[in-house]
Amino acid sequence: MKKKIGVYICHCGGNISDYVDVEKVREAVKNEEGVFLAKTTMFACADSNQKEMVEDIRKEALDGVVVASCSPKLHLLTFRGVVERAGMNKYNYVHANIREQVSWAHSDNKPGATEKAIQVVKAAIAKVRHAEALEPIKVKSTKAVAVIGAGVAGMRAAIELAEAGAEVYLIEREYFVGGRTAQWDDLCITEETGKELVTRLYDEVMKHKHVTLFTGAELVDYSGSVGNFNLKVKVTPRYFKLQCSSDELQKAIEVCPVEVPDEFNFNITTRKAIYHNYPSEYPQLPAIDMKNCTRCGECEKVCSSVDFSQKTEMLNLKVGSILLATGFDPYEPKKGEFGYGEIDNVVTFPQFKRIVHYCDDKLMYKGKEIKHIAYIYCVGSRQVDGENKYCSRYCCTANIHTAITVKKKYKNIYNYHFNRGIRTYGKAEVWYDESSRLGDIYLQSFEDHPPVVEKRGDQTFVKIRDILTTDKELEVAADLVVLVTGMVPRADNSIGNLLKVPKGRDKFFNEIHMKLRPVETVIDGVTIAGASQGPKNIMESMNSALAAATKSFSLVDSGELALEPTVARVNEEACEWCGKCEEACPYSAFEKVEKNGKTIAKVNAAVCKGCGMCLPVCPENALDLIGLSDEDVESMIDALIPNA
Amino acid sequence: MARINPEFTDELKKYGAFDANACYNCGNCTAVCSLATEEESFPREMVRFSVLGLKENLETSLKPWLCYYCGECSETCPREANPGELMMSLRRWLIARYDWTGLSGLFYKSLAVSLSAFVVLAAVVAWFGAYENFNLPVIMHYGHYFEMAAITVVFAFILLPNIIRMWWLTIYKPGVRVPVSVYFTAIGDLIVHMFTQKRTLGCEDNQLRWFEHFILVLGYLSLLFTTVVLDWFASQSLFVVVLGYVESAVIFVVTFDFVRRRIIKDQEISKHAHPSDWFFVIWLFLMGLSAFAVRLFIDLQMLDNNVWLYLVHLMILVQWALVIVPFGKWTHFLYRSFAMYFEKLIEYTRSTK
Repeated sequence: MKKKIGVYICHCGGNISDYVDVEKVREAVKNEEGVFLAKTTMFACADSNQKEMVEDIRKEALDGVVVASCSPKLHLLTFRGVVERAGMNKYNYVHANIREQVSWAHSDNKPGATEKAIQVVKAAIAKVRHAEALEPIKVKSTKAVAVIGAGVAGMRAAIELAEAGAEVYLIEREYFVGGRTAQWDDLCITEETGKELVTRLYDEVMKHKHVTLFTGAELVDYSGSVGNFNLKVKVTPRYFKLQCSSDELQKAIEVCPVEVPDEFNFNITTRKAIYHNYPSEYPQLPAIDMKNCTRCGECEKVCSSVDFSQKTEMLNLKVGSILLATGFDPYEPKKGEFGYGEIDNVVTFPQFKRIVHYCDDKLMYKGKEIKHIAYIYCVGSRQVDGENKYCSRYCCTANIHTAITVKKKYKNIYNYHFNRGIRTYGKAEVWYDESSRLGDIYLQSFEDHPPVVEKRGDQTFVKIRDILTTDKELEVAADLVVLVTGMVPRADNSIGNLLKVPKGRDKFFNEIHMKLRPVETVIDGVTIAGASQGPKNIMESMNSALAAATKSFSLVDSGELALEPTVARVNEEACEWCGKCEEACPYSAFEKVEKNGKTIAKVNAAVCKGCGMCLPVCPENALDLIGLSDEDVESMIDALIPNA
Repeated sequence: MARINPEFTDELKKYGAFDANACYNCGNCTAVCSLATEEESFPREMVRFSVLGLKENLETSLKPWLCYYCGECSETCPREANPGELMMSLRRWLIARYDWTGLSGLFYKSLAVSLSAFVVLAAVVAWFGAYENFNLPVIMHYGHYFEMAAITVVFAFILLPNIIRMWWLTIYKPGVRVPVSVYFTAIGDLIVHMFTQKRTLGCEDNQLRWFEHFILVLGYLSLLFTTVVLDWFASQSLFVVVLGYVESAVIFVVTFDFVRRRIIKDQEISKHAHPSDWFFVIWLFLMGLSAFAVRLFIDLQMLDNNVWLYLVHLMILVQWALVIVPFGKWTHFLYRSFAMYFEKLIEYTRSTK
C-alpha cells in the first residue's frame, strides 16, 4: 500500500478548468488515504511542470503518482517517462482522464463535471495505492527468421534480413520461385519483365550464404512464441537429380503421357507431369508433379536424372520471427459472369497477359485474329453484392499499360475500356493519358448498370449505358473480351489457420493498425508483407516487404526480448485445470502442466497479451491480471461509486 | 443502340481535329463556354460523340454551328484536346456531309485536290483569254455574265439542295415537326443572323472580331451587288464608282488583318489554320484588292494595256465562285444562319412540349 502519493490536476489551459473546478477537485482528494501532496497545474505536460514533478518525487520520496489530465493515449507515456526519470518504477504511475471523459463530455453541466472528475481522480488514487513495481519479461530470441513465400516480396525480405545479419529460411511451396511476378511479362513503368525482376532477386538470394531456400516446402506445424518458434517444414522432392541434361529432359517431357492444365499460364495451355515453367526459371531444375504423375516410368527410360527414390523430408527449424509473404490469387470469375466460361472469347486479364506473351506479330486467340478488344474493369473488385468490396489497386494501371503494349505490338488494335472510374493513381497517370491519346476509348458506368456481354450469331457484343455520353446505350463488337480481374486472398489459407493470423473484412491477413503498425499481426513475432495483406502492386509489395523485414529483424537482433509484464497470472493453489481458459484465449497462451502432482494451467508470458478474456470464464477465480488485479479494479469501483 | 466507331477520329483528323482522344470528359470546356446553355450544351458532348464515332448523332446536331469559336474551351482544356478546333472540324465535316456532290469532302481532306482545282480553273481562264485574243471588252463582257450565271447556278444546284439536305438531317430526320407558319415567323431570325452574326457577341472575347466580321459581310455583299447589278466596272456614276472603291477596300483591309492574325497566331481562334481557312481569307483579300486595282486601272485608263490584270482578277473570281463559295468555308455564312433558323424551330417544339 502506497503512503506517499503525489496527485497533479491539470487545467489544460482551460480545456479542463473551464468546466471542472480543479481547485475543488484538489480539495476533495488531498486528504484521501495515502495522498501526500496534491497540486493543480496549468499544463501538466509542460517542461516546467515535468521538472517540478521529478523534484517532488525525489525530494519527498513519493511512492506513487497520479496525473489527472487528458487521454492516456496522448500522455500516458509522457508521465511514465517523468516518473522513470525520477527513479520510480513506471507501473507506479496511474493516469486519470478528466478531459475527454469529463470536461469535454460534460461541458453543459459544470457542477456534475467537477463531481465526476473528483471520482475519476479518486479511482486513480485507489488504483495507484495497490500498484506494484513491475519489470518487463525477458525472453531469449533466436536470430533467425522464416520467410514464407519466395515471391518478389519474400525474396526481397529474405535478402534484407540476411544482409542485416539474421539467418533466413525462405520457404516456398511451389518448385519454382517468383510467385505471381514470374507469371507476368512486361511490367508497368519500369519496362522490365517479371522474369527479369525474379532473376535479379533470385541471384541476390543465392549470393547470401545466410539464406536457405526450400522449394516444394510447406510449414505444417509450429510451437513456441515470439523469439522461439519451432517450425516443422515438409519438403517434397522434385524427383530429379541436381544435374540434368537438357536433351534428356526434353525427351522425358515428350514421353510423359500425362497432360494437365498449366496453372502457370492460367490454364490457357497444358503441361506434362514433368515440367518447368519457362526456360530460364529458378531453380533451373525441372520437377515432377506427383499429384498427377501416374508412375508409368516412361521418363526414367529416357532421362537418367529422374529419381523416384527421393523421399519427402520433415525439417525442424528454430526461428525468432515468421514473415508471411504468401501472396494472392487472381479472382476467378464465376461461370456466366460477363459471359466467362460460356462465351468462348471471354478471358481474364492474367490469361490475356499470357496470350499476348505467346503471340508475336499477330494477336491470335483460338485461331482468330484479334482487332477489337473490350476490357471490363473491376471484375471481382468493388463488388456491390459480392464480398469483395475493396479496390484491387493494380488492375487499372496494369491493364492500361497492357492495352498500350498490345496497340504498339500489333497492327490495327482498337481498345475499349469499360470502367467504373479509372484509378491509375500515383505515377501511373501518364499511361492513362498515353492510352487515350493513342485512341483508346473509355466508357464508364455505375455499379448498378454494369456492362453486358452477349453473343449474337458468331459476334460477341459488349453493351453499356455510358454515363459519359448522357447514359446512351452503346455497344462494341469485340473479338476478345478481357475481364480485368482483381486480387483475392489465397484460396488455400492453411498457413493462416495454423498461425491463427486474423483476417480483415476483405479476408486478407490483417495488420494491427493500418497506419501505425502496418506489418505486424496480433500474433507476436509474425509479420506480414506483400499482397497477402491486401492488393498491392510490386512497388508497394517491396515497401511492405522491407518494413516487415525490419520489424522481424528488430525482434531477433538483440538475442533477447523485453515484453510487457501486464499478463495473466495463475493462482496455482486454486487452479483445478478445466481448460476453459485455454478455450477462451485468442492467443493460445495457456498450456496444461503437471506441478506437484496437480494438473494446472500455465501462462506463456511471451504469448499472453493481458487482454483478460480468460478471467471471467475461470470457475475457480484462479486467474488474475498483473497490474489490473481484482483488488485493483474493485477498489477503483468503490472509489467511483462511493455509495454503492 | 449505337455502335462505337473508333476509326471516325482518324477521318475527322483530315478535317483538322487533332487530339480529341485526349479528352477525359472533365467538362471544363462546356463550363467555360459562354454560348452553351442547359438545353444546348457543348462542346464536351460533341467531343464525346466524335471520340465514339457516333456519326448519326453528329450529323443530326446543330450544335457545331452554334459555336462561334472564341477558343476559350481550348485554352481551358487540361488535356489540350482542343475542343474549339474540334468544333471547327465538325463544321467542315458537316459541310461535307450536307454537300450532295461530295466535292466539299474532297477539297477539305486533300490540299492537292484543292490546289489542282485552282490551277485548272486558272488555266481555263487563261485559255479563254487567249481564245478571245486578249480582247478586253469581250473578256469583261463574259466576265460580267459569268458572275451572274455563277451566282444562279451555284445557288440553285449546289447551295439550295445542300440546305435542304441540312434541313432533312437536322429537322426532319430527328422528328422535329412544326406548323408551316412557324417557318415563316422564324425567317426574321434567319435574316438577322445571316447579316449580323450577332450570336458572336455572346462570346466573351473582344468585340472587334465581331465588328470586323460584320463590316466584311456588309462589304462583301454590297460589292457583290455593286458589281453584278450596278455593273461597277462599266458604271459612269460617280456614286457607284466610289461605293465600289470603298467596298473593295473594306474587304482587303479587313481580310489583311485576318491574314495577319493567322500569321502571328496571337489568339486561340487564329492558331490552328486549316488550308480551307487560308484559302478563304487569302482569296477574299485578293478579290477585294484585284477588283480595286481593276477599277483603278480603268479610271487611270491603263487597263487596255494591262489586260493581264483583269484576267488575274477573273481567275480569282472564278476560283472563288466555283470552289470556295459552293464547297469551302464560304458556306459557313449560310449554314450558320440556317442553323439559327432551324434552332428557332426546335425551340418552338421545346416550348410547346
